[in-house]
Amino acid sequence: MFNDLNIKRQAEELGVSVWRAPSFLFLVMGVIIIFAMTAIYYFSKKYDSPEVVVIAESLVVSIIFIIGNSIIKLMDQMAKLNKMKTEFISVASHQLRTPLTAIKWETELLLSKSKDLPAKPRGGIENINILSTRMNDLVNDLLNVARIDQKILILEKETVDLGKITENSIKNFLFLAGKKGIEIEFQKNPSLPEFISDREKLKTIVENLLSNSLKYTPDKGKIVIKIENDEQEIIFSIRDNGVGIPSNQQAQIFTKFFRSDNAVKYQTGGTGLGLFIAKEIINKMNGKIWFESEENKGTIFTFSLPITN
Amino acid sequence: MSKKILVIEDEIYLQNTLSEFLENEKFVVAKALDGEKGLEMAKSEKPDLILLDIVLPKKNGYEVLDEIKKDEKTKNIPVILLTNLESPEDIEKAFEKGASTYLVKSNYKLEDIVEKIKETLKDK
Repeated sequence: MFNDLNIKRQAEELGVSVWRAPSFLFLVMGVIIIFAMTAIYYFSKKYDSPEVVVIAESLVVSIIFIIGNSIIKLMDQMAKLNKMKTEFISVASHQLRTPLTAIKWETELLLSKSKDLPAKPRGGIENINILSTRMNDLVNDLLNVARIDQKILILEKETVDLGKITENSIKNFLFLAGKKGIEIEFQKNPSLPEFISDREKLKTIVENLLSNSLKYTPDKGKIVIKIENDEQEIIFSIRDNGVGIPSNQQAQIFTKFFRSDNAVKYQTGGTGLGLFIAKEIINKMNGKIWFESEENKGTIFTFSLPITN
Repeated sequence: MSKKILVIEDEIYLQNTLSEFLENEKFVVAKALDGEKGLEMAKSEKPDLILLDIVLPKKNGYEVLDEIKKDEKTKNIPVILLTNLESPEDIEKAFEKGASTYLVKSNYKLEDIVEKIKETLKDK
């Protein structure tokens, strides 16, 4: 029960002893109320005097107030800590962005000027480019999580073409795919309708899914992306023949910071934020995301979005 | 004839890289490191397009944009905001004030920025 109530975790996070954790105090309050009610009932029977009952009642109410007050104070402290954390993430990420952009652009400029460079130094520059892009994605992930936590994730309303967004995202990953010898196949309904949504956020979802598939698919693997639609919704799916998700961990896959055991073993890099962010955004868009996976066989992630005009 | 781009950006590294890339893409580039200078150059240099940061010394990007759009001589020059701010309020404010496009720096490759510049110049 201690674990269910998160008493230990609360105490650690707040830096107080276990008996001062809000959940523990709440538990104590419950016990006191039950005990007090029994006692009051007993005294009222025994003494048949309203004064005793009133005194006992006031005593109990005072104790409850005192404990309640500590709970509120601790909860307040918790909320403050949480807010500080989110603000920290947001400030740190913004500050990181300028030097990161400078590195990224400088590398791109260098690459554009060094077409005749031998493969080795050029490969080095290309690696810097990939890594700085990855760092930028991490910063974006952190910013997105901060926005989700602060409940300020706001969706833009613009006409979007999911097919085009996907094509561009695939382009961004072609180099990485080439390095691992992974083939990316893209199939879409030729008359895919445009709809009203948020382009950047859709790009984030597609790239998070694609990046996962690439990360967890062994060399020479294959990824198939399909976009279909009916009158009401657009359905996007991405299938890989990668390491898959162990069945006993499938329930946690959309949890913030969660990474499955085999994912950690296969690829140490990763925050466990991509799928959490994707799901939060899709929920906000009134869509759905789900998956089927078998360990060592592969995974297929699918999301559907309502077509809104 | 080469098109002239005015880049108003206070971060010197970003300013230099972006300008060099644009020059390699056959644009003529004018540079300003703060809002006041940028506004002055928007009038004197008569650029075909302006790339404008928001967080700038002396005058911020919104003030610059306001004044560009108020002045008869400069109001038809398309302005692309190029910034690392990306709150919906910032984006909305930029378009209200007459920005042609809004790009978040860290999410754009140099070649994509050039692509956007060409698109915007075509629509002009």
